[in-house]
Amino acid sequence: MALRRTHLYEYHRLHGRLVEFAGFEMPIWFEGIIPEHNAVRNSVGIFDTSHMGRASVTGEGAEELLDYLLTNDISRLEPMRGCYTLMCNEQGGIKDDLIAYRLSENHFFLVYNASNREKDYNWILKHSRDFDVEVRDLSDSVAMMAVQGPRAEEALQGITSEPLSEVGRFHCREVIIGGQRALIARTGYTGEDGFEIYLWDTPLSQPSKALDLWGKILSAGRKFGIKPCGLGARDSLRLEAGMPLYGNDIDEETNPLEARLRFAVKFKKKRPFIGKEALLRIRKEGVKRRRVGIRMVERGIPRHGYEIWKEGERIGYVTSGGFSPTLNAGIAMGYVPTEYSKLGTEVEVKIRRRLVRGKIVKFHPFYDETKYGYRREKR
Amino acid sequence: MSEEYEIPEDLYYTEEHEWLKVLEDGTALVGITDYAQKSLHEVVYVELPNPGDMVKQGEAFGTVESVKAVSDLYSPVSGIVEEVNEELLDSPELINSDPYGKGWIVKIKPKSLEDELENLLNAEQYREHLGSLEAK
Repeated sequence: MALRRTHLYEYHRLHGRLVEFAGFEMPIWFEGIIPEHNAVRNSVGIFDTSHMGRASVTGEGAEELLDYLLTNDISRLEPMRGCYTLMCNEQGGIKDDLIAYRLSENHFFLVYNASNREKDYNWILKHSRDFDVEVRDLSDSVAMMAVQGPRAEEALQGITSEPLSEVGRFHCREVIIGGQRALIARTGYTGEDGFEIYLWDTPLSQPSKALDLWGKILSAGRKFGIKPCGLGARDSLRLEAGMPLYGNDIDEETNPLEARLRFAVKFKKKRPFIGKEALLRIRKEGVKRRRVGIRMVERGIPRHGYEIWKEGERIGYVTSGGFSPTLNAGIAMGYVPTEYSKLGTEVEVKIRRRLVRGKIVKFHPFYDETKYGYRREKR
Repeated sequence: MSEEYEIPEDLYYTEEHEWLKVLEDGTALVGITDYAQKSLHEVVYVELPNPGDMVKQGEAFGTVESVKAVSDLYSPVSGIVEEVNEELLDSPELINSDPYGKGWIVKIKPKSLEDELENLLNAEQYREHLGSLEAK
């Protein structure tokens, strides 16, 4: 099957190293993962995220449908606000993690994983039949890019019609940016401050608007050393931030409680949701394993699929791992039985034939929050 | 495409992109080629054997890892590891910046060098090998 391409493919082809991801031909890096990663942690970087899934849900029954499908409390979401939420199956397994925005009373905008585009859309569509709503797949008609890093606001302000300082975290606003109408949201997948930009009315067949904005953002960010970033840096940044990657760290066989995503599940919201009964049962019985963060004490890079050991026994698997440029060490996420999930617990990761020492550490995020990330102390 | 890569004339090569340099004292240095370091990009970790370890031609003796990928190192010749480049433990990026110099990986005391050299490629053959990879 031919690989899909985004609006920005022409730029990627000329400037990046391309790889296949979730059926798309995407850049893994432009200059290199480490310089791109560091640009985002220390200044600003821009990512093409147009491979992701986007859909609108509109109508009188939109709030009701989404409250039924999603674990977060959609009834309490104010207009022009978004929230991180999960979508579960009846057994409490995670179908996807996504961001839901409420643009107005009866108009919602969903952004979900590229790897789940068809699955999510079909699931939402199937359940929508019992509600007074219209669901539309906008994945190929809304270009999407993310501008991330502590200087993101400064870099974008010069080409944006509205004061971005007024857009709070997880808020969104309709703006004119680089001369084009877009929705801008203060969200991201890097742990840093930053924005995700949705360019309305940009069909794949007409990529020029997206290419034009991409170029204008690169120009506006030049004095801050902005770098175009590929999927490699996107992955290393989210790993350091402790954010799960669907298909690796969470899937339909994992539930939000063991995945430590309880904050996105609102048991007390006024409407029931798919998976609620199962999750309440799991909560009552107690979570048997938990997602943890591991920092290697010895040299070595843990990777997806490697075994986690404790006292001569295999206790779990690494679900995401890699080299952390910020910590200059190997870091990983994985699942271990609850009794081994305490911070400070010494474990080993089997790297090829060797058991390499590591430690369970705080992982959401892995880095020092006073120095990095959107909560950092302002200089 | 293969002219983008530096391929010194005085070295021997493997199809897996290691190079071998025979020194005057009969020992040999081993590293990975410019093509290999460019394909891996940003080397962040090297797993080295210990001095005294036996290595065999064509068999894995260590690994090189970039942010994204893990790649085995295959020995161009059989013999005993005489020395490893310990500088790579703290500065693995030397493999990227100077693959044929400061980025050498191990020094081997070969066992049957003359016979085994016949199984390796010279610069010209290695250049052709890269050409055939690029064509795929």
